[in-house]
Amino acid sequence: MLLLSYLRMKLLTHNMLTSHVKGVTKGYPLLIKATEVKLTDVDFNSEFVSRMIPKIEWSVLVEAADTLGHLNDLPRDLPPDYESSEDFLRKVHHVLLEVEVLEGNLKCPESGREFPITKGVPNMLLNEDEV
Amino acid sequence: MSEGRHEAPVKRDGALADETPSPDSFSVVIGATVPTGFEYTAADEVREKLGAESRISKDRGRIYFEVRADSLPQVHQLKSVDNLFVVVKEFPDYHFKDTKEETLEEFEELASKLPWLLPLEVWKLNNTLKKRRSRRKGVLRAACPGEISSDGRKGGAKPEPQRDPESADSVIESNTASERGAASGTGKGSSAAAKEESQHGDVDSEEETGDSCESQDEGKKSELLKFRVTCSRAGEKHNFTSNEAARDFGGAVQDFFLWKPDMTKFDIEVLLNIHNEEVVVGISLTEESLHRRNITHFGPTTLRSTLAYGMLRLCDPLPSDVIIDPMCGSGAIPLEGSIEWPHSFFISGDNNTLATNRTVNNINYIHKKRQNKGSSHWGLRIDTLQWDICRLPIRTGSVDTIVTDMPFGKRMGSRKKNWDLYPSCLKEMGRICRPETGKAVLLTQDKKCFAKAVSRMGHLWRRSHTVWVNVGGLHAAVYLLKRTALAFEKAEARANLKTKSTEEDEEERRGPEVSDAAPGDT
Repeated sequence: MLLLSYLRMKLLTHNMLTSHVKGVTKGYPLLIKATEVKLTDVDFNSEFVSRMIPKIEWSVLVEAADTLGHLNDLPRDLPPDYESSEDFLRKVHHVLLEVEVLEGNLKCPESGREFPITKGVPNMLLNEDEV
Repeated sequence: MSEGRHEAPVKRDGALADETPSPDSFSVVIGATVPTGFEYTAADEVREKLGAESRISKDRGRIYFEVRADSLPQVHQLKSVDNLFVVVKEFPDYHFKDTKEETLEEFEELASKLPWLLPLEVWKLNNTLKKRRSRRKGVLRAACPGEISSDGRKGGAKPEPQRDPESADSVIESNTASERGAASGTGKGSSAAAKEESQHGDVDSEEETGDSCESQDEGKKSELLKFRVTCSRAGEKHNFTSNEAARDFGGAVQDFFLWKPDMTKFDIEVLLNIHNEEVVVGISLTEESLHRRNITHFGPTTLRSTLAYGMLRLCDPLPSDVIIDPMCGSGAIPLEGSIEWPHSFFISGDNNTLATNRTVNNINYIHKKRQNKGSSHWGLRIDTLQWDICRLPIRTGSVDTIVTDMPFGKRMGSRKKNWDLYPSCLKEMGRICRPETGKAVLLTQDKKCFAKAVSRMGHLWRRSHTVWVNVGGLHAAVYLLKRTALAFEKAEARANLKTKSTEEDEEERRGPEVSDAAPGDT
């Protein structure tokens, strides 16, 4: 049984992306519109998750997961002792790494410019006039 | 002793005949060729994974270490290493005779006096491991499905399903002999060896196919072993050529073992490496360089995986580190990274659709391979995007490490382009990199341009360490840079002030409205 698995954009990546259209000051976070989402299977590592949480914007992650319909029972507020809850860390792991956008686009919240996602690869190149 | 007619009686479970020692009871010295400049990194990996200390031939791309024969599978798992051989004997200070005839005669006499027994046992052991290694070269993909499991255990491999036709069509675009020549060291002989290596690769896959269905080498038992001698020679004071040495030494080896010489379809390759006064006799353990692992879709400048690994080791990736290659080409660096450091997060990006497609295909291939093996968590922590290096869509200060192969200006881009590109790159990389703890590992051949760009960006980056390397015959450098503690906006403001005050100083010195008068008193 061979699975055709294209690479797709993970929510962890989305958390770090910002719009760089000229003149835009509030380009973060990009709004996700996904027409195709797939789940993948990545090895869980608690250290990865607990060290990654402080590096990301929690509310953006929650919002993005919700938009894709994969929030499940992930809390909107970060619990204070999250490092010690493996159950919680596994949920975060799933949302960070295993929910992927295959097709869709990322939209700049200020200018409305849309960056397409094709076969999981977001095209963030700007046109001449946007630079 | 195994002199005289020599057979290769490898039994199915790898057990050796009674009078020969078992692999856990003796040690041998292994020699490894590594990308020049990364000898210390490779020695580090050997210490970490094999617990052995290495002797380094600095800037010659070679290290030596001693291990027990039964750790051979782990030796093959080393990621810094291009080629491996087992040392038969080392002569650190060989006294060559005064005339060519006498020198060559001495080489001939050497053949029968060398301690062949244990190295040959290792060679036999190596063959049983080799048969189960799958072919990584796309064009030479054999029907034989055997694959070595990750711990190197010689279990009976269950046959894999036929490869997906889509992946079978994937093409190896370039795999130049010159790069391999660079990998295998100096001297006349090795470029000949490199060319022959590529032929040998073809032949081996045929033999591999013939051996499928686990019939092993029943056919080989009654055959004579075929061999060749490869000589590499470097140094000014020798009175012979590598060809002459290979020919005469080879002749004596043939007489001693009664093996049959064959330049292309050999079973055993004897190495005669001569570097000034140092002579090393070895037996090759890898018939093709290991440096093309993981990559199936090559681009015009695809980096060797061993070099990518060396660069990544320099960054010392930690769990949860966000590591970016913003000019990823075919994705060699981030792919190697996501496999060897599975708990860091890798982002690959390029402005060119051809490159992002290649990267995605390379990653997909690995994913499929892992799925086929039946591993449940097959996903790699890696994503790919298309972007412009000078305008990265990444939040300021969110990346821990940047590792990349910068355009050289010879094989890709141009010298003039680099002049503008390098400072812009460094600035944008400085912006996305985390202040104080962040770092960059950058490979480039355009050292002059790079040095100038770094000095202009001194408010963002400081130089930490440089490794001089050889990439496809070009003298390049890998620069390790550390990000300063200043946040990007502050750093930029400070730099702008400095530029502004320099300009103001200039004006003051010039004096008001001086037209063509001589420079005023300062």
